[in-house]
Amino acid sequence: MLMSKKVSGLVRALIILLSAILPFLTQGHSAEKDGDRDGTPLAAGLVTSQYGPVTDARVRLAGQGHFTLTDKHGRFTVRGPRSYFNRPIVTAGKEGWFNNGAPLGMFGLVGDIELRPVFLADNPDYRFNSPKVCFSCHSKVTRIWDQSKMAHTTANPKLLDMYYGTDAEGNPERGEGYRLDNPSSNGNCATCHAPSAAAASRWSLDLKQVLNSPLTEWEGVACEYCHKVRKVVDDPSAPSGASAMLERQAPVRGRSILVFGPYDDVVVPPMAASYNPLFDSGRFCSTCHSHLKRLGPGKTWERLKIYSDEEWAAFGFDNNSILPIQTTYQEWKQWQNGLPAGDPNKDKKCQQCHMSWQKRLLPYDDFVVEGGAQHMWGTYRSPEQIRPHHFEGGTEAQLQNALALELEGDRGDNELLVKVHISNTNGGHWVPTGEPMRSVFLLVEARDSEDVPLQLIRGSRLPEWAGVGDIKNGDYSGLPGAVFAKVLADKAGNLNVPFWRASRIVFDTRIRPKKTVTLEFVFALTDPEDEPSAEATLIYRPVPKRLARAKKWQVEDIHIVTKAW
Amino acid sequence: MKRSSTILLVLTLALILVASSRTWAGNIAGVVQPQGLRSPENILVYVVKAAPVSVDISQTKYLMDQQQLTFIPHILPVLVGAKVEFPNNDKVAHNVFSLSQAKKFNLGSYKSGEIKTVVFDQPGVIDLRCDVHQEMNAYILVLKNPYFAVTDKEGRFTIPDQRSLEKQGIKGVPPLTAGKYLVKTWHEKLRTAKEKVEVPVNGEVTVILKPKRGAPGVLYK
Repeated sequence: MLMSKKVSGLVRALIILLSAILPFLTQGHSAEKDGDRDGTPLAAGLVTSQYGPVTDARVRLAGQGHFTLTDKHGRFTVRGPRSYFNRPIVTAGKEGWFNNGAPLGMFGLVGDIELRPVFLADNPDYRFNSPKVCFSCHSKVTRIWDQSKMAHTTANPKLLDMYYGTDAEGNPERGEGYRLDNPSSNGNCATCHAPSAAAASRWSLDLKQVLNSPLTEWEGVACEYCHKVRKVVDDPSAPSGASAMLERQAPVRGRSILVFGPYDDVVVPPMAASYNPLFDSGRFCSTCHSHLKRLGPGKTWERLKIYSDEEWAAFGFDNNSILPIQTTYQEWKQWQNGLPAGDPNKDKKCQQCHMSWQKRLLPYDDFVVEGGAQHMWGTYRSPEQIRPHHFEGGTEAQLQNALALELEGDRGDNELLVKVHISNTNGGHWVPTGEPMRSVFLLVEARDSEDVPLQLIRGSRLPEWAGVGDIKNGDYSGLPGAVFAKVLADKAGNLNVPFWRASRIVFDTRIRPKKTVTLEFVFALTDPEDEPSAEATLIYRPVPKRLARAKKWQVEDIHIVTKAW
Repeated sequence: MKRSSTILLVLTLALILVASSRTWAGNIAGVVQPQGLRSPENILVYVVKAAPVSVDISQTKYLMDQQQLTFIPHILPVLVGAKVEFPNNDKVAHNVFSLSQAKKFNLGSYKSGEIKTVVFDQPGVIDLRCDVHQEMNAYILVLKNPYFAVTDKEGRFTIPDQRSLEKQGIKGVPPLTAGKYLVKTWHEKLRTAKEKVEVPVNGEVTVILKPKRGAPGVLYK
């Protein structure tokens, strides 16, 4: 008896000793990854599954920025500053598996972390939860989303006017309308404007059908839809050329909400969370921020007049039967693929700008959950790891940030040369991007010292569709300047037509990311001794004047910037 | 004898005249009263052309800080050749860059606690941005001579602004020589206002500048 007590004490001591040195013995086996920090080995353990060890799982202390990868035996060593005041959770996550974790034990011991696979068994009968459900724990992020354009993609009056051919007062047959031209086709608008509804009834849905369906189906691009996306696959039948593959859980799986997301360290009971790197990539956005019109078998357009072979190939297109309506994703991808390794802009992603922190959201958050949920399940993390869901784009603030303007003047004997430099400073895509109804106008004027306008003798002028009439009403046709836009035309030669009528692109003068366009304007000087001045302005027009008038839309031009010389 | 003494007198007078014209004489003081702007603070007032002075900028310390999604200060006038430090004292990474004609650079994304530097070697307005945070915007104004000032809360200024220059490590900038100068303003929301002033042999000249709201101009035409 005494002997067995002694043995048991010895075994205990041995276990404690082994526990203390185990992290140090195993550290050589772990594959340390991006963001891994030098530091004391804190914890060591094994990530396993019903199929055996899990390799390349991302392991970290919950909320920490750095992580390590498991080796081929599923082993890991987590390093970092040692804290004696709390017992953190060591978490593991891998694409295709549910995240899991285990508390960090004494002496760096962690029990095996077992990962369960996300079985591919999408349930098309699943009814999406309303954002109201998400609001109960993620109140701040849901509020921010609710104020974003993503929350209003279905019940957007302009969308409905373009779809049904109505005007702002609901009057029928005012301006263009998809259903006016295509009475027997529902179109594929719902794919992106009501994805929750379109997910259940693939594509062909009339928008009124959607609006008459339960509220959650027309709450725009909502929480549950995005966070159920498992994969994005190429799909030539989709308007964007890519489709989202969803994973909607069957009731048999229990009450936890299955969510995919960018975190590999969310291991709380209400969420069946699965790390998915797709959420931190531009590919995620490609299913909607791309719109390709297929002209049909044997039909092509004169693409070479607008895009070079290199540019076309860089878009990822291989034939001229594609009429690219919206190419925001392709513009970004083309830019990124063209950057050399080490370029400061390499690896910039959509999420970095369109889900970035803004002053109105300060002070910074350290949690993505609030209230009681934060106390029970919240993970303290750096604001660097938190992406506010505002999805801002096309606003005054963002346009002012996206473009910059500079002027240079050179006075000759009888003329004044004004050089205008227009830069796409912050757009990771061409500017303007998205819906081709959008345009940016450059207006240039020069005056003598008596404030009398000087005559333009060389340089471009704004086209007729910039509006004929009074400049005070925003009619700029014929004025010295230029337009930056993609303009669609139909077979009859009508410009600025909606995509379903378009058969070609007439020009695409939009500004490429981080590029500067320099335009020259020469004005006649009446007095060579005079001191003239010049001014240039950039204006964003969301829809052409003609369309805005036909639809009775109250859309205002946005003044981006004015600079003087 | 009489003729030679007359020549000597004329030469002496001429020398005195030349010497007095090179005498460091005085300052330009004044006030900026902008129209259509809430505060007259932070407006640059500068002398377009001045007699060359030797300024040692090797010890200068120019800082453009980043805190709470804001560049601090909003405008930073510096001399040609100045080295500016860009520390990140925020909780998130920033990416400072400029596509301005006077200086194009991109510091890439860097985290809290890191500092990067840029040398500004051409005069002009540098429109400073962060590649990730849309609201972050500031201006570095690269000037040809040290005769500039930034207005205080009341819109007042004195050129040269010895206190600010010394704060940045520039000492011994002499007052302006007596003569005529063109003084201009720069602010991102104001048209350029300009006034011709004459600095007297002794003392100070005062000027009132009244820029109107509108498009900012270039620093040097």
